[in-house]
Amino acid sequence: MQVVGLTTPQEVYVASKDRKFRINELLVLEDPYQGNLIGEVVESNSYNRFIPLSIGSGIHDADVIESLKHLGYSISEDEINIAKVKLLTEANFPVVTGCPVRLPTFDEVRGYLLKGKREDGFLLGEIKNTEETAATMEDELKGLCEMYSRGKIYKTRNVPFFLDLRSFQQYPHIGVFGGSGSGKSFGLRVIMEEVMKHRFPALMLDPHYEMEFSESQDNTMEKKDFKDDFRKFQIGEHIGVEFLHLSRGDLLALLSAVSPLTEAMASAIAELHLRGDTYLSFSNRLELLIEALEMGRPRVEQALRQDMEPMEKEKYKKLRQLLEEYQNIPLPSVQGIAWRLRRLHNSGLFSRDIKLVKEAMMQGKLAVVQGPIWLLQVFSTYLLSNVYRQRRDYKDGELKGEASGEYFPPFIIATDEAHNFAPKGRDAATKDIITEIAQEGRKYGVFLVLATQRPTLLDETVTAQLNTKVIFRTVRASDIATITEETDIKTEEARRLPYLPSGDAFMSSPLFGRTVAIRVRFPHTRSPHTQNPLDEIQIHRETTEDKLLESIKPHLPIYAANFARAVEEINRDTGENYQVRTLKAALDTLVEKGKLKKQTSPLGDIFL
Amino acid sequence: MLELNMDLKNKFEEAAKAMQLRLRQKPSTQVLRNMILEKGIGSFNQCERLNYQELSNIVEKGGIVGVDGSTNNTGGPYPYLLTLQQALAKVCNQEKGHVTITDAFSPLTMIASMGEEEYREFVKENLACLEVKAAIAAFEQYSPRVILLDGSLVRYKIEAAPLWEKLKNRALSQNTILVGIVEGISTGVISECLKDRLPKSGYPASDWEILFGLLQVGEMLEIAPGLFKEGFRTCFLRSSVDPKPIGIDLPEEQQVYLTEVANLVFTLTPRDGRGIPLWLDIIDKNVRISDTIMEGLLSTYMGEEYVEFLKPKRQKREM
Repeated sequence: MQVVGLTTPQEVYVASKDRKFRINELLVLEDPYQGNLIGEVVESNSYNRFIPLSIGSGIHDADVIESLKHLGYSISEDEINIAKVKLLTEANFPVVTGCPVRLPTFDEVRGYLLKGKREDGFLLGEIKNTEETAATMEDELKGLCEMYSRGKIYKTRNVPFFLDLRSFQQYPHIGVFGGSGSGKSFGLRVIMEEVMKHRFPALMLDPHYEMEFSESQDNTMEKKDFKDDFRKFQIGEHIGVEFLHLSRGDLLALLSAVSPLTEAMASAIAELHLRGDTYLSFSNRLELLIEALEMGRPRVEQALRQDMEPMEKEKYKKLRQLLEEYQNIPLPSVQGIAWRLRRLHNSGLFSRDIKLVKEAMMQGKLAVVQGPIWLLQVFSTYLLSNVYRQRRDYKDGELKGEASGEYFPPFIIATDEAHNFAPKGRDAATKDIITEIAQEGRKYGVFLVLATQRPTLLDETVTAQLNTKVIFRTVRASDIATITEETDIKTEEARRLPYLPSGDAFMSSPLFGRTVAIRVRFPHTRSPHTQNPLDEIQIHRETTEDKLLESIKPHLPIYAANFARAVEEINRDTGENYQVRTLKAALDTLVEKGKLKKQTSPLGDIFL
Repeated sequence: MLELNMDLKNKFEEAAKAMQLRLRQKPSTQVLRNMILEKGIGSFNQCERLNYQELSNIVEKGGIVGVDGSTNNTGGPYPYLLTLQQALAKVCNQEKGHVTITDAFSPLTMIASMGEEEYREFVKENLACLEVKAAIAAFEQYSPRVILLDGSLVRYKIEAAPLWEKLKNRALSQNTILVGIVEGISTGVISECLKDRLPKSGYPASDWEILFGLLQVGEMLEIAPGLFKEGFRTCFLRSSVDPKPIGIDLPEEQQVYLTEVANLVFTLTPRDGRGIPLWLDIIDKNVRISDTIMEGLLSTYMGEEYVEFLKPKRQKREM
């Protein structure tokens, strides 16, 4: 390998007769004057001077080329490989043309490939195309993780990629971008596994119900699960919001998360929500006020003049009092508030609290919060503000020298579909708190891991704060544009984005000062959704059929005369709800599958 | 647009008309074919592409060697110039490698002084010598079945007689077939034989002119023995869609192989190409000394000042 052609202090071409270059490979240019320079392959080309590009030059005759091969000459071996190499650090003057080029040993490029101490790093995968260099590294670094490619699992042969946890203090937030099927979810899973390995407290919002870490992969060489390192909570079932502790701001945020509030509603809430309100007292007040407003003052007065039970009387007095107190609030506003509140209540949000989440975080576990996306938005507004405030209060207190508050650890907040939580150009309940954490979280040791398939839809202030970006395959031009704008990714790499294989990613981090091409390791655990819907339907069908077969066996043969009774008995035995028509159809299916026999007789079909 | 001189235009038109007339009066291909057959000039045969088994047989017997040479001059007008020559013999089997023989000289520094014409002749002969030397070296190293030489074999016999005899004798003794591939046919044997039957304007004609478009793709005209090129057997072959045929020479002693060789040449020639076996094109590319290389060599080994000294005024012309 040697440097050829016109060189610059930043960029050179390297040619080789027998070695094909791979993109992102590191090479050592042995410049006789400037010493060894390290460069990275950004483009790799091969060409054959006997097979020109022009059409009609007569060389495309495959028969002739094949004949030559039989004579012992393979035209493809006369190939020349050329790589465009960018120097990692600019040279003082252009590289000497003709100087020899070779592959580096690990020690020569250690600083470019490994940052920080190994124990403090998240082992995310391997650095692509570093096999030869990896062969020269110390044994402790070899084969650290398992890789998955084309249906095979193998120990990595490349240099491992570590993301230094200590560097989070400097570069706190991570963005994970990539379209569906790009390996983004795997990437997120690997990051979270590493978080758990380091027992770093973390909170994860999981709208897809897929962040389950208790099942280890079937086909991996070393089984590992995180049963004890994470806890899963469903909103409304395990955790919720304690209404009593809601500040007015929290309540506003919650209600507006269901559906945006009008100005009138917001001011109505300000008037209606009293300190020390429980859900019951607040919702009662709303319901009564609605009733009062619907009746109107004259009818309330009139009702009060009538003779009635004392209880009844009490109620009307209360209605009148409310009318007097809140005379300026329009009925639609109150109704609007009431249905929002009811929706929150029905989700079970107000029947639990967030103690369990905090507990898990205090123990250095990963707390996975699951719920439908709208509820998750509502809830996480409350949850994130709450935990963030607690951490902030503790840290501020410490700074002021007041060892007052209860200890709350630094933590990571992670979510998929981040563009739903901090969307660009529109409001979302969670946007404020996420923006705040993005801007200030570093100070308090609160870090974000935001994954999205649409970086373009993510709020720009947030995107700008994501220092480290893991970019998987992206096809949309607008997203590629956003990525190019927001990262130090080079044009050559941006061009490759639509073609990245699943699991391959570009790692753009200020720590490395360049984009590193990595392949994410095979996760230890698997998502619960891995069953193919097609398999699911088939399995379900099989089991119901088998069940039916079992239950009709005692009634065979079934024919027209005993059909009705058979239906009745089968329904009783199985708890199913067959009609004559549906059972017949089901039996016909069984016949089709050969599990049952059917005979046609003058008296109708007989199932045997 | 510049106004063209009227007189120039007329003269040119006249010449072009005469040329057109000559082409129009050329007998039709069928007539020509019949004439050729009737006069016993040769016979038409269709070539076959060899199959892989047949190719493998050739490889087993030693494979194929291709030989080509290249000359390039640099510097100024005679005798202020440097000539660089290179001949390459390359065997199809890549592992075996190749033989390169080079030479460089200048009329100024040669012992015997000679005129420009003489020098040009010398250069030509020297190249033929280099090519034959390369062929002999390749023959000794690889003992191939076939040696393809770029150009007529007659040329070697005339320009490098002693070496050629040596090569021929060895080849004959070891049954290595020597083949000359002629890209630019310059003989006029056919028109000479058909002299009395061709229209006046169409005589004398080069062989390629008579054969232009006459042969089908893969068809060859085997010239009857003894008709021309003493000591050689020749055939013309349309080896690709290009209507201009190529010539194939064999030593007379090896004429039994003529069909086999024609088939081989046809097999190795891209159908849509210009009609030269790909193998020779590859060697040509390898052996050619480009102007860039010449310039590079000159400025490296001679120094910029001398290059300036040699550079002819003509090259400094700017319009």
